[in-house]
Amino acid sequence: MPRTTQAGLSAAPERKLLARRRQRRPEYHMSLGERLLLGRLVRRDEDAFNEIVRAYSDRVYNLVLRLVGSHAEAEDIAQEVFVTVFKSIETYRGEAKLSTWILRIAANHSKNRIKYLSRRRTTGQELRDGSDATEMADEGKAPAQAHFASPEVMFEAAETERIMQKAIAQLDEEQRLLVVLRDVEELSYDEIVEITGLPEGTVKSRLHRSRMALKDLLEGKLK
Amino acid sequence: MKAADVHQRTSEAFSAYVEGDLPPEERARMDEHLASCTQCRVSLERFRRTVGRLGALKRRAPGDFLAGVQAQINRRSRGRFFGKRHMLFGRIPFEWLSLAMIIAMLVYYIVVLQTSPTGVVPAK
Repeated sequence: MPRTTQAGLSAAPERKLLARRRQRRPEYHMSLGERLLLGRLVRRDEDAFNEIVRAYSDRVYNLVLRLVGSHAEAEDIAQEVFVTVFKSIETYRGEAKLSTWILRIAANHSKNRIKYLSRRRTTGQELRDGSDATEMADEGKAPAQAHFASPEVMFEAAETERIMQKAIAQLDEEQRLLVVLRDVEELSYDEIVEITGLPEGTVKSRLHRSRMALKDLLEGKLK
Repeated sequence: MKAADVHQRTSEAFSAYVEGDLPPEERARMDEHLASCTQCRVSLERFRRTVGRLGALKRRAPGDFLAGVQAQINRRSRGRFFGKRHMLFGRIPFEWLSLAMIIAMLVYYIVVLQTSPTGVVPAK
């Protein structure tokens, strides 16, 4: 099993690959505003940190929620992500966007939690069969876009979300991550490469397989 | 080429087709096939719908999320960060404190002069 660093990238071979790819990719340049914000974060300015949490909490929470499938776990992991950001901001070198760096931490925390939970649960069914997706629907909360719609539309949106989440939970860990990063979070391929450490071609081919798997899993389940 | 192989090849290009990543000649070939193949057209439509629905899976963080993060950091830093603040616009109001000190010193100076033990009071 590959050793993982704090940032969660696999050890030597993948790091070499990532370094080689970075050499070819255009370097990311921080804006003056970002640099000033980073300086404040490094000085542990609490107001700067609050800004970061407000700016990225929804994206981090949604990413984690889609990966682990449970609201309680998602809230816990997402909080842990920002604690890590606060503690380790010095390790952010500005080679990628700050949002990408934060989402990479979120992806790694989620992967670790999924592994931990699947080891701990003897039945191991809660995540795999998407039973937490039922819990999500039971809360009666529809996805964000349906908040002002009629009860029927909200119910339908919640039901669609439950079915989608259940299907996502059936994908393997890597497939889930790729689909969520690209199609839920709508990140660019450059950002996904930064987060996963995979070459762009590999991201595209594996993402396509994940989408096809999802399409098959949803066959006949949605209108 | 067998029909099954054509269907297979078409479905393998769905992502590239939907994202506009196919070279023009491949795209034209695929359009031609889709125009005559209901099976692939239906499959592509389902593929598109699946991908589109994923984009709607958005949830916001709970309302008290920031407070939760702050509490975590406060606990782990043993109160060093995100402790209770002396609130006025979220921080200690040093400028107001300075002004209050100056006014207090002025009042003190005037009062002391008025009640001087030598009985010397400023001329009116």
